[in-house]
Amino acid sequence: MKFVLSTLTLCVGLSGSVLAQEEPWDMEEWGMEETPSHRFSGFVELASGARLSSDPVINTEKTLADLRAQLQWDKDFDASGIKFTADFYYDGVLDQTKLQVRELVLQGSLNALVDLGDWGKKLDVKVGQQILTWGTGDYVFLNDLFAKDFQSFFAGRDDDYLKAPSFSAKVSGFFDWANVDLVITPKFTPDNYINGDYFSFFSPLAGTNIAPGFDVSSPNKPSSPEYAMRIYKTIGSTEYAGYAYTGAHKSPASFTEFGEPYFSTLRVYGASAITPFANGLLNIEMAYYDSTDDEQGSEPLVPNSQIRWLLGYEQELVKNLTASAQLYVEHTNDFDALRANSLAPEFDPNRSRVLFTQRFMYRVMQQTLTLNAFNFYSTSDEDGYLKLSADYSPVDQWQLSSGFNLFYGKEQFSFFKQFEDASNAFVRFKYYY
Amino acid sequence: MLKKILNVFTLSLPLSIGAPLIGAPLIGAQLIAVPLIAATLIAATLIAAPFHAMSADLSSVDVASIVKNAEKAAYYSGNDGRSDARMMIVDAQDRKQMRQFTILRRDIEDNGDQQMMVFFSRPADVKDTVFRVEKHVDLTVEDDRWLYLPALDLVKRISSGDKRTSFVGSHFFYEDVSGRAISEDSFELQQETDVAYILKATPKAPDTVEFAHYVVTIDKKTKLPILINFFKADNINYRRVEAVKIEEIQGFPTVVRSKVSDLESGAYTLMEFRNISFDLGLGDDVFSERSLRNPPREWLN
Repeated sequence: MKFVLSTLTLCVGLSGSVLAQEEPWDMEEWGMEETPSHRFSGFVELASGARLSSDPVINTEKTLADLRAQLQWDKDFDASGIKFTADFYYDGVLDQTKLQVRELVLQGSLNALVDLGDWGKKLDVKVGQQILTWGTGDYVFLNDLFAKDFQSFFAGRDDDYLKAPSFSAKVSGFFDWANVDLVITPKFTPDNYINGDYFSFFSPLAGTNIAPGFDVSSPNKPSSPEYAMRIYKTIGSTEYAGYAYTGAHKSPASFTEFGEPYFSTLRVYGASAITPFANGLLNIEMAYYDSTDDEQGSEPLVPNSQIRWLLGYEQELVKNLTASAQLYVEHTNDFDALRANSLAPEFDPNRSRVLFTQRFMYRVMQQTLTLNAFNFYSTSDEDGYLKLSADYSPVDQWQLSSGFNLFYGKEQFSFFKQFEDASNAFVRFKYYY
Repeated sequence: MLKKILNVFTLSLPLSIGAPLIGAPLIGAQLIAVPLIAATLIAATLIAAPFHAMSADLSSVDVASIVKNAEKAAYYSGNDGRSDARMMIVDAQDRKQMRQFTILRRDIEDNGDQQMMVFFSRPADVKDTVFRVEKHVDLTVEDDRWLYLPALDLVKRISSGDKRTSFVGSHFFYEDVSGRAISEDSFELQQETDVAYILKATPKAPDTVEFAHYVVTIDKKTKLPILINFFKADNINYRRVEAVKIEEIQGFPTVVRSKVSDLESGAYTLMEFRNISFDLGLGDDVFSERSLRNPPREWLN
């Protein structure tokens, strides 16, 4: 027995090497080496999408036609790092070649830049072109006023593209009483809103869908920086956050007296909480949208102030199947004043817009295939948006995705129904190098 | 990128509790609950003898302390630890996928709550994704989990889920990685050899797991679980977790290679740990949202 025991001990190493003959333990085969201090990675992607029915004001059936290459590079220093992510792509819908720098950012402890001693240890900075996100909603944003790309979202690009980059400085402080993020975006960065380039939208002034492919001219863009702040703290298992933003509406929902679209000023104050509840996660968030160019709600060309509420719940129903539901309400302030001054009362929204969302996500085949269904349905507008997608990636090198974006409803001018002709099917193939 | 990860994690995620083999969280070597192996393997193959040498009186063996010690050996080495890890996932058609990541772990107390961060570096579509877990051994309190998705700069809180679902597409379950709580099973000694205890574990809540029971071999010398075979109700052995290579690191016997096999399909996952160290003095502040968004580089590189 003694002999056996010592054999056992000694053989630990041996057993590994014996096994190695049968199993791919060998480093070469794993393709891994020591982590270098800087790295390149990326992918190439081919994406195609088409309308399910034609749009009378847009003369192409194509809704997505990308040939894209993404390059990522990063380099780490002791207490900071640089990250770079850029997409170079040909957009076949617009017949344009574009370069989008999604990330070119220096991130690290403030002390890595300026030595502030102990104080600096509590502060992180992230400066440069970057993607920013906060808040508790799923595809629904209340206190997150960072730029979004709805054209990409509607067209079926990867969810990564729902957020658009901005050139910003973010300072984060980590204190015993709470953590604080302050983000300054010197140049106002709007959403990539639906402007008619790919999808038409309803114009209350024209009384029908239009596709002008417009841009807001410089004089109508806000000249002030955007400021966003978040204060957050976790108590027990519950995370609380308070938010503030000052800037402008992120899409040009207002019109000048000459009928030109512009971004009217906006302040937002809000709060959120998220906590485990009954085997799932419960989140609540609210935001007060103070539309400061229309304090009385009587200016017909500028959106009224609103209070927005979100209540959400997510739970795994059975193994690998997760479901979530959200209730979202936009309550318009000074609604009577809005009605009294409306230029097109027949197209006015309801006093309260009520939206339900449901998501089902199912992963099968050892997680190589993921099926996603996300539905927005508004009971107040009787319209909705169903997003279906499937992603298949049985190996590390490639991923095949496809799906549908389906808009439906009753009234042509309602929020989702106006995009009915944008309903599309898409397929994407991505290869990582 | 979102996708894979989301998939990977979002839906399920659980790292949670307990111990497959007994253990809990991981770090390094311990990521896997699995343990050890070598000894076992050898024992099983080269040596049939020890198995015949059963102790005279099984009833005199303190099963509870064996299990507790095994949990500690597998998941609680030192007060904290770090390790680089890589997995190779091999499907039934021999197609391979890789995962590479670094794990930081900190114990609140031995055999108790733990904090963990997993920083992914490969493949490209999950690079810079970070997973954070606050593990609670109290079965009435769910673990807290977060995922950071760099492409969206999104910190996503993840709901608790079935812990016996795949960890990032591998054949390891979350529970293998973080450890299945030993309080979830009833253990009985089946056999004692000169080198190992062989225990049968039966779940107290059989509706919550896919197995009817498992049999774990715990190496006497290292106290590590080195082989676990999972059985269905018809007594079919459909899943196996084994320690393939063990090394002593800073005095702690540590599983540096482990393997989980789906015995029905032939698919398997290999996991290897490198650059392991314990008792680094990792602070509570390392395990935070700050580290999700801005990784603590001094512990990663």
